[in-house]
Amino acid sequence: MGSAPDGPTGPVAEDEDEAAAEQDLLVEDVSIDGMCGVY
Amino acid sequence: MRLVEEFEAGLEAPICITWELTYACNLACVHCLSSSGRRDPRELTTAEAKGVIEELERMQVFYVNVGGGEPTVRKDFWELLDHAAAHRVGVKFSTNGSRIDAAAAARLAASDYVDVQVSIDGATAAVNDAVRGPGSFDTALGALERLAAAGFEKPKVSVVVTRQNAGQLDDFKAIADRYGAQLRITRLRPSGRGADVWDELHPTAAQQRSLYMWLLEHGEAVLTGDSFFHLSAYGEALPGLNLCGAGRVVCLIDPVGDVYACPFAIHEEFRAGNVREPRGFEGVWRDSELFAELRRPQSGGACGSCGHYDACRGGCMAAKFFTGLPLDGPDPECALGHGAGLLAARGAEATIPAPAVDHSRVRPAAGPARGRPAPVKPSPGRPARAGGAAAARPPAKVCDEDPLAEFLAAGGAARSAAEA
Amino acid sequence: MDPETGLEGRWRLHPQVALRPERFGALAYHFGTRRLSFLKSPRLAAAVRGLEAAPDPTAACRAAGIGEGELPSYRRALATLAETGMIVPARGAFLSDSENNSPRQVAA
Repeated sequence: MGSAPDGPTGPVAEDEDEAAAEQDLLVEDVSIDGMCGVY
Repeated sequence: MRLVEEFEAGLEAPICITWELTYACNLACVHCLSSSGRRDPRELTTAEAKGVIEELERMQVFYVNVGGGEPTVRKDFWELLDHAAAHRVGVKFSTNGSRIDAAAAARLAASDYVDVQVSIDGATAAVNDAVRGPGSFDTALGALERLAAAGFEKPKVSVVVTRQNAGQLDDFKAIADRYGAQLRITRLRPSGRGADVWDELHPTAAQQRSLYMWLLEHGEAVLTGDSFFHLSAYGEALPGLNLCGAGRVVCLIDPVGDVYACPFAIHEEFRAGNVREPRGFEGVWRDSELFAELRRPQSGGACGSCGHYDACRGGCMAAKFFTGLPLDGPDPECALGHGAGLLAARGAEATIPAPAVDHSRVRPAAGPARGRPAPVKPSPGRPARAGGAAAARPPAKVCDEDPLAEFLAAGGAARSAAEA
Repeated sequence: MDPETGLEGRWRLHPQVALRPERFGALAYHFGTRRLSFLKSPRLAAAVRGLEAAPDPTAACRAAGIGEGELPSYRRALATLAETGMIVPARGAFLSDSENNSPRQVAA
């Protein structure tokens, strides 16, 4: 299921969080159901 | 960059597109987003449609969501399905079920790359047929029965949530379970004929809230067409990718080849081009001004300062447009009520844009204007006919019956000759 | 799947998967499962494309320019793709390994 990492990101922690996010989220499952294509 | 941000900036090609094959339909649902009924004389020919499929293959568009109108009324429907399968484009199509006989069900069961979705808008014939016409509920269930009997795996049952059916969600789930189908519930938009009935049909705020709670509980098993992201402002985000993909991840190709940002936005404001242009669909997707604009970072406008903007992204562009609300403000069904407030505060003279095209066979004498009392109950139009027989009365135009009757359009005769 | 031991031998993209390059890496769609995956790195996409030609996934990663320090993350990513059926062990009788110049049999 696709999801964005959430939680506050301060200026100092942001780089580290992004690096960690990069490592852990190299592959992300995406769940879309046509994106409002009604069909 | 987060996944959402990457998608908002636009993709090399759509992940999927909605493709309305025809404006012809044997039903006349009161809320039809594409104002369907009569075939358009300028509809893409079989050859042109195959060309589009081949272009989608080159672009690696993964699948198409086929609808209309009723796509199965096109005589080349099965031919186009086969062509898509042969060209590595998956097909998911939506139908009212009127042409899913035993043979069709068997054919679908034998195919690997086709997903089928049968539309109902009530868990009972009474609620459903008020919107979709007498007999349409039975027709739909008949199709589901035949699909199940043929061994077709996991069709979908697709429902548009209305004020009248919002209390039937568990019943819809039961119907889907009964036929081995997956339930899909989607949002009603004030698009097409939907604009005429939106005031009476769209769920109340209380129903929206209940719907949100129900989705939280059942969200894993139930699809939503990604259409309820505006409800995320009620609390935690719903499963799925909560953003508007129009012009960025998806778009619409309509029966005459016009490319719109989304199927709920059939209006010149959201038309990016036409597949018949020399640049083709790929050129429209890559280079159109409209799509470039949609792919630029959005500030959120009036919604940008709201704490929930991250989750709801300002809601649905089409819902705002066809209720006459500004695009850089709240959705008419904003969970916090900001949209309702705007609608109420606005004068009765506000202009509601009309859809670009209207192929309805039956229209109310005058549509309701916003701010004025709703008219008498909407007319469901002509009754559905089980078995998919053509119109009982003689067609007003040849195009009601013949998909290649393009003689009304300039150059149509030449196209027809070339096609033969 | 244990990323440390699961990814041995030659692998390949599942034949029912379409891998489409994107600015951020790639999108992968499995026609059988209808699953869609977001590959958030161009080098990961390159590694996936190079799987079949490489003796094992680690070699494919190196060939895609992934450094030693980054290997664990990329192997984890490939393990995820394997778990979801997007990549599968390559079946085949004998493959001539271009690096070693010796035939290798890969288990199905």
